[in-house]
Amino acid sequence: MKRLRSLLALSILAPIFAATATTARGEESFTQICEKVNPKLVKLFGAGGFRGLASYGSGAIVSPDGYILTVNSHILDTQDLRVHLSDGTPYHAKVVAIEPELDVALVKIGDNKNKVEDLPYFDVVEAAKRPPVEPGTGVLAFSNQFQIATRDEPMSIQRGVVASYSKLAGRIGIFEATYKGDVYVVDAITNNPGAGGGALTTRKGELLALIGKELRNELTNTWINYAIPVSARITVSQADGNPATVSILDILEKKEKYKALTPPKKNEGPGVYTGIILVADPVERTPPFIEDIVPGSPADNAKLQADDLIVYVDGILVGDIHAYNDVLSRYHPNQTVKLEIQRDRKLQTISLKLDKPKTKKAPDKK
Amino acid sequence: MIRTFDPRWLFAALIPALLVAAFSVRGDDLDPRILKMERERIEVIKKVQPSVVAVLTGGGSGVLIDEEGYALTNFHVTEAARSPVMKCGLPNGILYDAVLVGLDKVGDVALIKLLPKKPGDKFPFAKLGDSDTVHAGDWSLAMGNPFLLATDFTPTVTFGLVSGVHRYQYPAGTLLEYTDCIQIDTSINPGNSGGPLFDMKGELIGINGRGSFEKRGRVNSGVGYAISINQIKNFLPQLKAGMDTDHASLGFRVETDEEEGRLLSKLVVKQIITSDAQRRGVEVDDQVVSFAGKPIGSVNQYKNILGLYPKGWRLPFVYRRLNEKKQTETHETLVRLMGVQRQELPQPGQPGPGPGPGPRPGPGPRPPVPSSPASKLYEAKAGFANFHFNKSEQERLMKAFRKHGDFSKASGDWGIRTSGTLYAGVGPRGKRIVADLMVRNKGAKDRQNDLIQAIVDGLDYSMEPLGDEEKQSTRSDPPDSGGLLMAFYQYRQLLIHGTKGFASACSHGGVEPFYPPREGQTKPDYAKMRVDAEVLRTSHASVSGKWYFSKQNDDTAGQLLGFEIWLDREKDPCEVYLSDYKDVGGDGKLPHRIEVHYGDKVYAVLTVNSWKKEASK
Repeated sequence: MKRLRSLLALSILAPIFAATATTARGEESFTQICEKVNPKLVKLFGAGGFRGLASYGSGAIVSPDGYILTVNSHILDTQDLRVHLSDGTPYHAKVVAIEPELDVALVKIGDNKNKVEDLPYFDVVEAAKRPPVEPGTGVLAFSNQFQIATRDEPMSIQRGVVASYSKLAGRIGIFEATYKGDVYVVDAITNNPGAGGGALTTRKGELLALIGKELRNELTNTWINYAIPVSARITVSQADGNPATVSILDILEKKEKYKALTPPKKNEGPGVYTGIILVADPVERTPPFIEDIVPGSPADNAKLQADDLIVYVDGILVGDIHAYNDVLSRYHPNQTVKLEIQRDRKLQTISLKLDKPKTKKAPDKK
Repeated sequence: MIRTFDPRWLFAALIPALLVAAFSVRGDDLDPRILKMERERIEVIKKVQPSVVAVLTGGGSGVLIDEEGYALTNFHVTEAARSPVMKCGLPNGILYDAVLVGLDKVGDVALIKLLPKKPGDKFPFAKLGDSDTVHAGDWSLAMGNPFLLATDFTPTVTFGLVSGVHRYQYPAGTLLEYTDCIQIDTSINPGNSGGPLFDMKGELIGINGRGSFEKRGRVNSGVGYAISINQIKNFLPQLKAGMDTDHASLGFRVETDEEEGRLLSKLVVKQIITSDAQRRGVEVDDQVVSFAGKPIGSVNQYKNILGLYPKGWRLPFVYRRLNEKKQTETHETLVRLMGVQRQELPQPGQPGPGPGPGPRPGPGPRPPVPSSPASKLYEAKAGFANFHFNKSEQERLMKAFRKHGDFSKASGDWGIRTSGTLYAGVGPRGKRIVADLMVRNKGAKDRQNDLIQAIVDGLDYSMEPLGDEEKQSTRSDPPDSGGLLMAFYQYRQLLIHGTKGFASACSHGGVEPFYPPREGQTKPDYAKMRVDAEVLRTSHASVSGKWYFSKQNDDTAGQLLGFEIWLDREKDPCEVYLSDYKDVGGDGKLPHRIEVHYGDKVYAVLTVNSWKKEASK
């Protein structure tokens, strides 16, 4: 037992001194690990940019021909998803697969015109074979948090210790997290804006997990720093009552052919009922002008009017109809939101009590 | 939330907090290499700790950098102090009076000076490191006074990784721009502002000043930034001269072209304004290649490198242009940097990004300077952080300058007879000429003003430097010299009267690079030519002058290497390079080789055959 204890102490202290300790053993320093890991990571740029929602993220290259694993987040919700490789080369990217149950997504750069080959990448199949590392293990985190790096600048590196390997129970804002499987919880503050999709590695730079989103712990309301293991798999019961199991490896294997268990939510608009009818949304970034109000609806009760422009929803700037729908979709019926609207060139605040979504009437078949 | 684990792993999860306990319990069993590193770390902390300052007025931290008591901190800490005199604590538990010395508002750096308790007492200080040798993945130590915890002034130590180097963080307005900074996961919090970041040798590599904060509030969120010490080194002589320094602009914007799947290779010049770069021939769409000897490939790199240097410095810039035959040609030129701050004072109350002290500089007048032993070391003057220190730097410089010759009694007529080669209007081979220049003391018609006369290549010139009716055309005589007559007059002024010869303004300008020309050189190698020189800035007779003095650590220290005379700040100056100092009678030494440049051209190279200097009649 004595030997075991000393081993334990070593495993705790070792990560703290790892840089020099490993160098002394003829292994790589953290600086060398950075140089090795960084080319396998990309910077992602997409939707977002309004308050609290970053328009950038991180991703891990998982094949030499340009498949990139990242977290499923709002930044993918755009026609103009862009990727910068570690040397600064810019690419347009398309989303290949999204699995909300795992909270991960696969995107791809390169096509026939702009072929991508021979990229450095993480071998996820190999990585998924390794057993999870134990709590107390020193780890490194690489991401483009806060978009500190641009172009060919290297990702941020942080060091930490695995605090636990456990089930995730968190929430994003007022949302429950979609993924409820195993995660690494770390003692470093890794899950900052834009860090999602970055790499959590061993202190040798071997991929362990994808850094997750910004989440708060449901019980304590504190921010949680977690990463989704590359070996993640989860079993969920489907609409037909049968359980189905999915894993990150399934997504990587099937790629374009992968069908998500729960199809990602399309922009279906508010999950609550307001009675606000917005103007048509023919172009991107149409501002949320009210076209009409349904009589007797919550909006009518709140004395909203046609031609009002909705500027803020609970303090969040809604620059366009898309942003408005996105923000409102996070509320539940019976919640009250504070809208700031512009009417006759003046801002005013209006409280709006949300209602249950109206059950759709039978489609008007003709 | 935690799965069932072997209990020892539960224990392990708590270990970071219990590290010390675990260490003492199991110390005997630990790998000796780990014990050694632990010991070394403790030694380093012990060694550097005495230099860490708690800046109590303003609520931040700082670090002593020499035995005289000079200490670095953040501008946003001294700004929060709202007073040029402050109180600082050292880890020895003693409270010191301190005074603001210099400011770099854009770079968020301030220099302060702690007053010794007894004259001659020496302070412990940190050794300045080389931040260019720092890499992502290196360990670092941050020390300071987070949350103002240390009532006995013992600093808090945090330990972590360098997360990135050469980082760029946008300014708030034109202030607090963090260029080429060091990103750390070493925890820094409010109160750490201005404190030191050390490498594991205990050398100072940066000044902690800022973090990325968002949803988690203004506390450490794993991302802190330190201003690199190499940037501060460039500004330090200006800070010591009590200056309110400015960062630099080249006078143009740059853009990159983005192309799918292609590595961007071109950073091009856009929107060039009236500037030295424009006068040197830089044009829109020229490709930026390098600046100050560092290659540039992206906008952030451009901003990072530019951010390292103070306004006014002259540095080599390399650009590429397509020539008429569609081939690219590379050009190298020296460019004088212009400032970035607007001339008027910055708007107070701008949000500072730093993790620094709680209260922000608010609008309204500063309170009067409280009485303190440090108040004696403070003198307010527009454009300076503390003019008291500028005056003492001027005095020190003049003392060194006078060692090479004291001409204060020769306040009468002056003249030189020279022969040499004239290049202006002649071509590269030049023309042998003789040139005589003289200043007639009170020689003007009114018997009050001085008169400058010259015969250059057989042509007569004359000008009254203080005369009202003088036109620009005669002030810049002889043609294509940029104003050699005026330059000679100003030089005499300095030789006779020193700093007092410049009625309008005179100040010490810190240290700047200077590039004395080398004989027989075809293509200049600016890196080899560069010498760092102490600078004096003057204004007299509506003309500004910039004087460069040797700061070599030998018997040339204080010798005038050359000067620039600006008849018009929007145009090029007359550049005069002095060398071949020889004794001229009993008064001291004067130069016997004078090279005059204007714009991109050499005007003339002259050998002095005789100096004439007379006492006033």
